[in-house]
Amino acid sequence: MTALERAIADPRPVEGLGDHSPMAGLARRSVGFYDVLAQSVSAVAPSAAATTVPLMVAAAAGKATVLALFAALLLCLLVATTVNQFTRRLSAPGSLFTFVSKGLGGGAGFVTGVTLLIGYGFIAMFSLAGAGYYLAILVGHFVPGAESSGLLVSILIVAMGGLSFVVLARGIRISTRVTLLVETLSVGIILVLVVALLSTQGPGIDWSLLSLGDTTPGDFAIGAVLAITAFVGFESSATLGVEARRPFATIPRSIVWTVIVSGLLYLVASYTQFVGFSGLGRDFIDSGSPVNDLATAYGVEWMGLLLDLSIAASFFACAVSSTTALVRVVFAMGREGLLPSAFGRTHRRFSTPIVAICVTLPILTLVPVLVIAAGNDAWQAMSFFIVGAAGGYIAAYILVCAAVPVFLARIGEATVWPFVRASAAAVALAVVLTVYLVAELATPQWPGVVIVVAIVLLAVTGHALLGVRYPDRRRSVGAYDEPTREDVLGG
Amino acid sequence: MVDPLGASGELRARQPKAIHSALTVLEEVARAGAGVTAREVSEGLGLPRATTYRLLNLLVQDEYLVRMPDLRGFALGRKVAELVGQVAPARPPQAAREVIAELRQRMRGGVHVVRYGDDSISIVDSDPDFPFSDELRVLREFDASAIGLLLLAEQRSLGRVSARAAHAGRGIDDDLAAALARGYSSQIGRFVPGFGCIGVPIRDSNGMLVAGLCFSGPRTRIESPERIVAELASSGRSLAPLLA
Repeated sequence: MTALERAIADPRPVEGLGDHSPMAGLARRSVGFYDVLAQSVSAVAPSAAATTVPLMVAAAAGKATVLALFAALLLCLLVATTVNQFTRRLSAPGSLFTFVSKGLGGGAGFVTGVTLLIGYGFIAMFSLAGAGYYLAILVGHFVPGAESSGLLVSILIVAMGGLSFVVLARGIRISTRVTLLVETLSVGIILVLVVALLSTQGPGIDWSLLSLGDTTPGDFAIGAVLAITAFVGFESSATLGVEARRPFATIPRSIVWTVIVSGLLYLVASYTQFVGFSGLGRDFIDSGSPVNDLATAYGVEWMGLLLDLSIAASFFACAVSSTTALVRVVFAMGREGLLPSAFGRTHRRFSTPIVAICVTLPILTLVPVLVIAAGNDAWQAMSFFIVGAAGGYIAAYILVCAAVPVFLARIGEATVWPFVRASAAAVALAVVLTVYLVAELATPQWPGVVIVVAIVLLAVTGHALLGVRYPDRRRSVGAYDEPTREDVLGG
Repeated sequence: MVDPLGASGELRARQPKAIHSALTVLEEVARAGAGVTAREVSEGLGLPRATTYRLLNLLVQDEYLVRMPDLRGFALGRKVAELVGQVAPARPPQAAREVIAELRQRMRGGVHVVRYGDDSISIVDSDPDFPFSDELRVLREFDASAIGLLLLAEQRSLGRVSARAAHAGRGIDDDLAAALARGYSSQIGRFVPGFGCIGVPIRDSNGMLVAGLCFSGPRTRIESPERIVAELASSGRSLAPLLA
């Protein structure tokens, strides 16, 4: 009889396991691969990004835009495989916050948590504002002038916030299904437009778009940084660690696939936009809304209407999925005692982190309304939020890449390649973040940079003070969905 | 869908030789006991460290192994028990097959025989004329079928709570109490509306539940079960020495 057969026939009891996970209360092991994928994909909002980011990148990188997007794709793949060193080993709704706590300790974990909350929070506000803005444009097709009404945009933002609340509170399956449907439809619409445009161009590839051309390395770097903002959010499926079935298989897979699929969409969409404009003899960079302009110029104006609807829907999906991730990080912080324990409470029937939803969603809805009420238009508000979001995400990515080598060494599983990948990603991202923040300081979006840095400093100070008052709270940091007796043979 | 991880090195860990390596890793964890670390497994087997870590992570992904709360150690997952359950049970002896064939002639409905493990069910002989509507569900969801309810009731009477019982729905308590009180189990409409099944236990000489006889048929017959239960129980008594 082999040891395995003996163990199965007469399992020896396993010590050191509890009956309940510290993260009990969420709908454990209830969603499959496609739900998990939907979470990451909609947090990235590829259709909204494919129509807006290439223009931003082109302003810096010129003809090297496609190449800059490709560089961003490679860097994000590097980050994704590094994050997956954690997602293959522990499932935690606190996501990067918990991972960094496990590698670099509670202090660094807390800073990561704050930067991650900034990332999710600002992108949620960005998307709610974006949904309101594009819905107003849609109304403007029928009622001329409606799109410039700040009041209408604000009302639409509040309506979208309310709808998000219902979807988020009713359960994780509903929110992932809704976002998957919306995102698939809007990516489909963009692909139809891409095919329609490319078919008017005839066969052949414009190879000049796949070279650096006369772009300087500095401009290329800034272009690549902006391109990264099109990818952020790909890690958000990690927050579904408790709720996913077979999380150690589905979450790493969803993270890598999100980067690959959205990257390919960006490459195709940016290439098409360039080719489309050069076919018209116009410059892509001078366009205000390139995709709408292209649709009009090529005689498919009705696509513009459909496109506005799909971008609004994509923004809504992005708001839902970013808030889904955000409330789970808040929930994990509540369970660990970094925030009041009420945040760790879940809804009895829907198994969602209801207190975190009730507290954060009204804030995420009201801030964009207030920013618009202060005299900014919706687009200004959005460019301001996106700076904060990019800063928060990239800072969190740097910290998680730095944590991987320490974590692997701590559990005795350090090998060469993960170490090389993590170090390369951390260094590259640190350069990228510095370049980005310095460049943004010189733009009208500078308050975004200042606010992010201020929030991080405030949080660090607050955490240090909390540590003095409640020293034992810091020790418990890093709780995750531990295996229970039920999971092991002989439990 | 192609596995994107395949391109980055996981592929090697999925080749046939790797299946052998994966089983030796499971064997090593079983031998060393819960809490063994990745490095200890690699040293114990003389496998390269990177390969061992990859295999361990794959086995954790598929839940054959569980990573302990210290994140360093590994334990066998509950799922390894299924490795044993997957092996097809031996064909019953001819004497048993004759009893079953004779019972089927009398019953005008599906007659199936299953064998029980500690927390598993294997089908010994399913009725070729009245096949199971959802065989996989019978094997996995013990709270759905009469066969599964028999096993859950047995586990409850022995004071054991299995993983599957813990996952079962809230309404299960009444079913189990009824099964324990009457000595047989039944359900209606959980697989096919208007149809149901009755399960009667087959015990060895020590009273241990070893196998089960199941009748499936239309609702009206399940609702007046006296004659069916008597027939199944009588055949079950003949089968007990042949199957136990």
